[in-house]
Amino acid sequence: MSGEPSVVVEHVSKNFRQFSERNQTLKSAVMRGRVSRYRTFAALTDVSLRVREGETVGLIGGNGSGKSTLLKCIARILQPDSGTIRTRGRISALLEVGSGFHPELTGRENVYLSGAIHGLNRAKVSSLFDEIVAFAGVDDFIDEPVKNYSSGMYVRLGFSTAVAVRPDVLLADEILAVGDVDFQARCLARIEEMRRQGTTIVLVSHDLHNVAQFCSRAAWLDHGRLVEFGESRKVVASYSNSYRAGA
Amino acid sequence: MKQYLRELHGSRLILSALVSRDISGKYRRTILGQLWSFANPLTQMLVYTFVFSFVFQVKSMKGDPSGLDSFALYLLCGLIPWTLFQSSVMGAIASPLANVNLITKVYFPRMIIPMASLVSTLYNSGFEFLVLIVALALAGSMFWPLLPVALVIIFLLVSFAGGLGLLLSILNLQFRDTEYLLGILFQVWMWLSPIIYPISLVANRSAELGPIPGTGITLLDIYSLNPIVHFVTAFRNVMYDNRMPSAIDLGMCALWALVSLVVGFLTFRRMDSRLAEFL
Repeated sequence: MSGEPSVVVEHVSKNFRQFSERNQTLKSAVMRGRVSRYRTFAALTDVSLRVREGETVGLIGGNGSGKSTLLKCIARILQPDSGTIRTRGRISALLEVGSGFHPELTGRENVYLSGAIHGLNRAKVSSLFDEIVAFAGVDDFIDEPVKNYSSGMYVRLGFSTAVAVRPDVLLADEILAVGDVDFQARCLARIEEMRRQGTTIVLVSHDLHNVAQFCSRAAWLDHGRLVEFGESRKVVASYSNSYRAGA
Repeated sequence: MKQYLRELHGSRLILSALVSRDISGKYRRTILGQLWSFANPLTQMLVYTFVFSFVFQVKSMKGDPSGLDSFALYLLCGLIPWTLFQSSVMGAIASPLANVNLITKVYFPRMIIPMASLVSTLYNSGFEFLVLIVALALAGSMFWPLLPVALVIIFLLVSFAGGLGLLLSILNLQFRDTEYLLGILFQVWMWLSPIIYPISLVANRSAELGPIPGTGITLLDIYSLNPIVHFVTAFRNVMYDNRMPSAIDLGMCALWALVSLVVGFLTFRRMDSRLAEFL
């Protein structure tokens, strides 16, 4: 807990192209004489924030406010159009459902593949394997292709793998929206434990109660702009107030 | 650039994990398993040999100086490198779309994906090359002293295919036509390469016709613009004829491999961090 920022987001903007026509075949491109027609949609506009090491930050805001886009930019899956993002240490991302599992591979193979992506060799993954499977509770299905998994099993194995690699920074998008009550409780306990161990956590959630309770700070995004960034209870309160006022 | 290379190097664990996934997944749930990799070249060899050697009675090509006299082996020496080339390029092109769940969920240098596809294609065709080597050895081909040269040619061929695959996989993300168009182009390309017929037939025709009036350019010159001509000729020189390929053929192989790799690498790198947006 040196207080050094783990994630630095500086003046990040990200535009998406909303294609009213996208000529992904040569025929249509030639016929219409252009590759595409689109209008630009600003998913993020000049967002800056710093997440200190060991801190838990929640990203809140309505649908389409840019929370997930920001998380994907931090995870380097998307590249900002302008601005910079710097991160320190090993990053593990849980985006939407599953963390990049291959449907045809078995649970076991996916765990090893995931481990490799996070820089762990086979021996290291083997030493964590039992812990991963036990936490996910998929022992009987670990040698089945994950396409046969229920969505709950899929998410549990994804979460279990993502936290087992001991990331310095954990990025999580709506992980608590799935899984049963029991698993949600265990997830929260695990995140709490990681937080105590000094893991930096950035999570996107619609569960304002959880954000207020778990996060030290929260960032409220609206239409791609950062409205407020500060102590989580305060930000959650102003977000709910604005929502009530608007409704 | 330095940082990108360092990042690629740091991702070799991912490369090997993806390769072993591709290899173990390829023939999963088949009874014949790896044997399937022989099916395609074997069928082609039988059909072409039947049509050209038996029906058309094409004179088989005598290996010089090996003295080898077998149309089937002559054919295989061209067909197997060609198949490796074609499946390397096609595999690399299809690889980003086949790995959507990885690309949209986790970060790592995306070039690892076509690279893994290349390595697994090479591994899979390794069995075909083994069969070729055994068949040639049984037929009395004395290629052993020149085998390292053959390996260099294959290495250059894979580099050529790799660069082309990197370049075209980016094009395929923009225009999904690329994959289908290439399926057709590869057929044309194969018949424009000396795989089923010897290049000497083209040379003869070229000599009969003479150069294009007013220029010194012959049919053979134009024909030799096809890079595969050099790869196949050089490989066959070693394996079938048992002689050192010409410096021109080897030089052209090296040149094409280098140009293709540089262009493909630079193009892919430019798009690497934005790949998720094209899926």
